[in-house]
Amino acid sequence: MGLQSSEEAEMGTLGKPVTAAKVVKVSVVLITILVITVIVATMIGTATVTWEQLWNVLSGHARETDPAKLVIFRIRLPRIILAGLVGFSLSLGGVVFQALLRNPLADPFILGVSSGSAFGAVIGIMFGFSFTFGIPALAFGGALLTMYLVLVVGRKKIGMESSTIILAGVIINAFFTAVIMFFIATAVNDQLHTMLFWLYGDLSQSRFGELAIAGPAVLVGFVILYCFGKHLNLITAGEEAALHLGVDVGKAKLVCFLVVSLVVGLVVAFSGLIGFVGLVIPHLCRMLFGSDHRLLMPASALGGAIFLIAADTLARTVISPSELPVGVITAFLGAPFFIYLLRKRGSRWTGS
Amino acid sequence: MDRVLNLKKVGYRYDSGWALRDVSMDIDAGELVGILGPNGSGKTTLLKVADRILEPQEGDVLLRGQSIQAYSRPALAREIAMVPQENHFQFAFSCLEVVLMGRFPHMGLFDFEGERDMAVALEAMKAAHCADLAQRPINALSGGEKQRVLLARALAQEPGLVLLDEPTSFLDLRFKKEIFELLSSLKKERGVSLMIVSHDIDLSARYCDRIVLLDRGRVYAEGTPGEVLTAGNVEAVYGCPVSVDNNPVTGSPRVSIL
Repeated sequence: MGLQSSEEAEMGTLGKPVTAAKVVKVSVVLITILVITVIVATMIGTATVTWEQLWNVLSGHARETDPAKLVIFRIRLPRIILAGLVGFSLSLGGVVFQALLRNPLADPFILGVSSGSAFGAVIGIMFGFSFTFGIPALAFGGALLTMYLVLVVGRKKIGMESSTIILAGVIINAFFTAVIMFFIATAVNDQLHTMLFWLYGDLSQSRFGELAIAGPAVLVGFVILYCFGKHLNLITAGEEAALHLGVDVGKAKLVCFLVVSLVVGLVVAFSGLIGFVGLVIPHLCRMLFGSDHRLLMPASALGGAIFLIAADTLARTVISPSELPVGVITAFLGAPFFIYLLRKRGSRWTGS
Repeated sequence: MDRVLNLKKVGYRYDSGWALRDVSMDIDAGELVGILGPNGSGKTTLLKVADRILEPQEGDVLLRGQSIQAYSRPALAREIAMVPQENHFQFAFSCLEVVLMGRFPHMGLFDFEGERDMAVALEAMKAAHCADLAQRPINALSGGEKQRVLLARALAQEPGLVLLDEPTSFLDLRFKKEIFELLSSLKKERGVSLMIVSHDIDLSARYCDRIVLLDRGRVYAEGTPGEVLTAGNVEAVYGCPVSVDNNPVTGSPRVSIL
């Protein structure tokens, strides 16, 4: 009995079924943290913005030429919002891929979906397409192509073996990364700003025009995926079990794969390759909030946004006035944190 | 009696060949039907065809007189539930959460489990003797405990027919008997029909109303346990010499390997 009661204590609220009230409560808390993170991130940087300047700018009292206004609206806010969107999308993508493939190691980066969409975006840039439509469309195409390749290569004769799919993802990821490097090495075009942009991720080139496309698209994608929260719960229990329980598995998987590829493809077109967000944040959220996707999806998406804004703020301040690629920070923080979490919480609640 | 499921000359072929051929059988309301047969005789395929996991190339499956094709997935899950041999959960869910998954076909897109869903789930857990496990993580359970939770999940679907795929194969003697006792009482108390695939000939003989004996994808014999489980039938299908007598305590057929 001793074992049982310690098990229950360890579970806390984890074992309790998720309610709508709990989803709202967690979301409100995380949104509050997100807003605070955005404000703090707006104020710190190479040029410090004071509370007074921030208040003046936000309340519309600042003059057009006020340098604080320029810093906030032209440089920092677009970058912070992009970081938030990218973190939101990659983390959401991680949760959905992990559920669809029933594999805790799946994430947009490891599966090669990120590098596939970066590949599409690089092609778009080579042909001089616009950032408003052509490049996002090609990035989406690249993400879909990769998803398709991963599923076809990883598909065994009977069903889908999820470890084969991860392997297929790793291989396709390596291939597309090599192709991108080839393009970059041979390109004389200075539109490809730096190699680091694509290979380590960079959020500094953000413009409001791009955000106006990516933002609404990501939110619509989230709403569609959220509709499949219960379906994803059942799919993690096995595709055949999900069929028996009344899930139209084929349809649910098709919609989820399409939407998540679109969301990830879009943000990668603007951010380059940023790893670890889609792996660490969903796991952290699963340990905090349990495995129910109706809570896990909003929690991970918001958590991913908070995490990437914080990481990018570090990236641009830690060796100021120079900058680090944000992917360096996410890997640097993400990898040890991930190991710590794995060791701290045994395997019972992580399911392995 | 109400006819729940009706298989008409069903044939199913994998790439490697026919797994079911010309199989016709019925299940009535409140019946416990055992599907017996050696490995590879098509038992599991039969269950999958019955719940449209596999779609037969020949014949038809009727659910309450209507072709099973006419049902949507959720509608089908409100009629037929499945207790699998094993269900591995990749991510952590509590047993109550697992049982609540059985409420999925009754819920709308944005619904969270309401009071009635919770009541049905707890009631199903009581019926399957696993109410005390509600808050425990599913992955921490023993085989027998897990099997009861999966049975409770099936009952939470409030189905008319429950399919069971070798639910007792990983269980010890006591749990095997417990599961069969449970099925028997569910049948009597709730009028649920049950179709169980099993390798336990003796327990099936004792608890099932009817036995369907499969041999290489075809129905070899069908009827009451006494009619089907003759030494001749069992020897012919399983390919090993047996003697059959009646258990002196329960009176049901007893198959002994010679």
